[in-house]
Amino acid sequence: MATVMVNRPVVAAPSQSGGTVTGTGTLLRFMLRRDRIRFPAWTLGLGLLMGYFATALETFVESPADLEGLTAFSGSPAGALFGGPGFGFDDLTIERFLAGQYGLYVAIGAGLMGLLTVVRHTRAEERSGRAELIRANVVGRHAQLTAALVLVATMATVVAILIGGLMASRGYDLGGSLLFGASVGAVALVFAGVAAVTVQLSEYPRAASSTAGALLGAAFVLRGLGDMAAVQGSGASWLSWLSPVGWSQQTAPYVHDRWWPLAISLAVAVIAAAGGYALATRRDFGAGLVPPRPGPARAVAWLDGPLALAFRLHRASLIGWSVGLLAAGLAYGSFTEPLLDGFTDAPEDMVAIMGGAENLLDGYLGTMGLTMALAVGVYAVLAMQTLRAEETEGRAESVLATSVSRSAWIGSHLAVTAVGVPWLLLVAGAGMGVGAAVSTGDAGSFGGLLLGHVAHTPAVWLLLAAAAVLYAVAPRVLPLIWVVLGYGLIVGYFAPILEIPASAVWLSPFAHVGEHPLEEVSVVAVLVLTVLAAVTAQVARLVFRRDVVGRT
Amino acid sequence: MTTAIDIHHIDKHFGRIKALDGLDLQVETGTVHGFLGPNGAGKSTTIRILLGLLRADRGRVRLLGGDPWADAVRLHRRLAYVPGDVELWPNLTGGEAIDLFARLRGGTDPVRRDELCQRFDLDPRKKGRTYSKGNRQKVALIAALASDVDLLLLDEPTAGLDPLMEAVFQECIREACAAGRTVLLSSHILAQVEVLADQISIIRQGQIVETGSLTDLRHLTRTSVDAIVDQSAAALATLAGVHGLQDTDGHVRFEVDSDHLAVVIRRLGELGVRGLTVRPPTLEQLLLRHYGDEPARHGAVA
Repeated sequence: MATVMVNRPVVAAPSQSGGTVTGTGTLLRFMLRRDRIRFPAWTLGLGLLMGYFATALETFVESPADLEGLTAFSGSPAGALFGGPGFGFDDLTIERFLAGQYGLYVAIGAGLMGLLTVVRHTRAEERSGRAELIRANVVGRHAQLTAALVLVATMATVVAILIGGLMASRGYDLGGSLLFGASVGAVALVFAGVAAVTVQLSEYPRAASSTAGALLGAAFVLRGLGDMAAVQGSGASWLSWLSPVGWSQQTAPYVHDRWWPLAISLAVAVIAAAGGYALATRRDFGAGLVPPRPGPARAVAWLDGPLALAFRLHRASLIGWSVGLLAAGLAYGSFTEPLLDGFTDAPEDMVAIMGGAENLLDGYLGTMGLTMALAVGVYAVLAMQTLRAEETEGRAESVLATSVSRSAWIGSHLAVTAVGVPWLLLVAGAGMGVGAAVSTGDAGSFGGLLLGHVAHTPAVWLLLAAAAVLYAVAPRVLPLIWVVLGYGLIVGYFAPILEIPASAVWLSPFAHVGEHPLEEVSVVAVLVLTVLAAVTAQVARLVFRRDVVGRT
Repeated sequence: MTTAIDIHHIDKHFGRIKALDGLDLQVETGTVHGFLGPNGAGKSTTIRILLGLLRADRGRVRLLGGDPWADAVRLHRRLAYVPGDVELWPNLTGGEAIDLFARLRGGTDPVRRDELCQRFDLDPRKKGRTYSKGNRQKVALIAALASDVDLLLLDEPTAGLDPLMEAVFQECIREACAAGRTVLLSSHILAQVEVLADQISIIRQGQIVETGSLTDLRHLTRTSVDAIVDQSAAALATLAGVHGLQDTDGHVRFEVDSDHLAVVIRRLGELGVRGLTVRPPTLEQLLLRHYGDEPARHGAVA
């Protein structure tokens, strides 16, 4: 396809670089035009998130004693798991805490920005057929990928400068601030490179972004386990060095201020992108690397109604999530024993402050239950987004033209997802339980872990039902549901640290069931949330009376 | 005869754009009704209202004796729909999609399904994403034609089919008609409608501008006459119903309203005709008159 330029009678000759990137500049301008909302939303959003953390923390920390209190949590293994290796936490300052504890979440956001942007402008375009129109013009084979990568590099630079500038403007050390900003931007670059590879593998944009997203999740888990070991001073702390997020955290802004770990990030980003280019030349336009095989000529007997269809459509994603959550559960669970070991070595009065080793373990296991619930929340929201795709891509129309009512259509997708929620929590809980049992040699916590995970089901159901209402009102407002999930995450992890008032905590659906085994499961909350979810789902079915084609 | 589709004066807005503007449409049971119009005239909107996928802002719609919005599920058991742009699930095979649609509609005849797959030359083992547009269209057509339904709603069903498959399609529609089914066939391909339709309605900017049989519609139109005559044809120009007369050295070309054809031909005969070509109006000309620069508006006949 790169040969389209051969007979071009225009004086402005194509670039000398072989022409595979011809048109990159034009495409980049076009992408900037398409992303005129997304670009500032991602970059400013990440900047504002960091600004919020900084403001909230500065408001909260009024005396050195307050900082001491922070160390107690963040210096603990559980704090390391959800924060970082805690560089300089023995002599804590606000900026060290911001970079060491909250930097992780901004970095994860940057990673998502990188991978989603690349998928959106490469495989998603190819899948939709729009890329074919583009490539029929004077556009090189690699122009789209190149332009997308340049776009992400620009976004990453803007994020780095915004965050660095923001931190420096608060009076923190300039060098450290710039390094911190750059470490966040580096994660975006690495995962843009990762996405450059994953978009070559499958024909589906969703498969590309979920593969890259799973790797981002793995990076989060690996560095968590490594950091936990590092904080305890024993175990596999080298795990952090396997994670792109870990490289960014190892820069230790405001403490060691080392730039060299970012060289690893940059090198990996470049190598991954090169791999993407290499794979791209080995496949056909529009195709993945695996050629399609013929399938069954007839549908299996059970595929005979809207519910069966919904299950068939969600099946692949359910299998993927089950495998992912099982692996994550096993990994986190297997760290129970090192966690306990680390604590027996700790000074006795410190253990006492934390409420004893027993409570610390329960706190860790309870937090993991919440974490898995939030992850399953992501599954539920993504499942609702497939409904949106069914509608906008015209398949809902064909189904609704048969004897399937609107209410049955949305209801069956809701039902399949609603059953998927406790199933996934069960799988995650079982993974944690087995991991913990193998690690400690004691299966006593297994039942409690299962309960602690599955108990979050009604909270996720409520989230799912709320997403369904948003979708039923208008598909384009569905993404608003991420706000609820993000709010649940911030409240769940940071309410004690950020001193979020109880009334605001109360608003999160995830704040009521209780983080078993640390807390008791509130039966009342379970019942109330279940009823609320059922009522909300019913509202969604009733609201879903609008036109189903021709709207967005 | 009963009426399978009875649309009375419906309006439909999308935001500020008026897609349908007082549209009327009647389709008799057991007939093939051609629904003709250019892109964006409102054909698909009308069909989606008939399916209860969209709700009309105003007016009355009856489909197989029911209300398509309120009784959608009951009515959909008795009809099959083929959209103009068929979208399939990328990871389901064509065969799975055919079976699924048939089952969602309430059963199908497996023998007929296989026979149709053969006639349309479709490999049902391919995944939805690997089909070309024409093949996706075939999947939806086979699913619809294999169903035992009373009404077929076909929205530009042969877009993307090659001429050979188009012939198979026409055969299948004739069979459906012989089996007593009602067919609403929307198209902008005039030849297809001309061949199949008993009745034709022409839609433009959300309104039906013509409706009737092909013969009825031809009454409203002009016949093109091309003749070589011995005498001056100036006298013809003064006759009622003659338009655009050109006379170059005995080669006369003009159009004549069908109502005045008899008188004009008689006068033409008196001029010493040595060569004569008379062409009936094609549907292209019908459309040209409606969508061309002439502002002429005709009342419905039927």
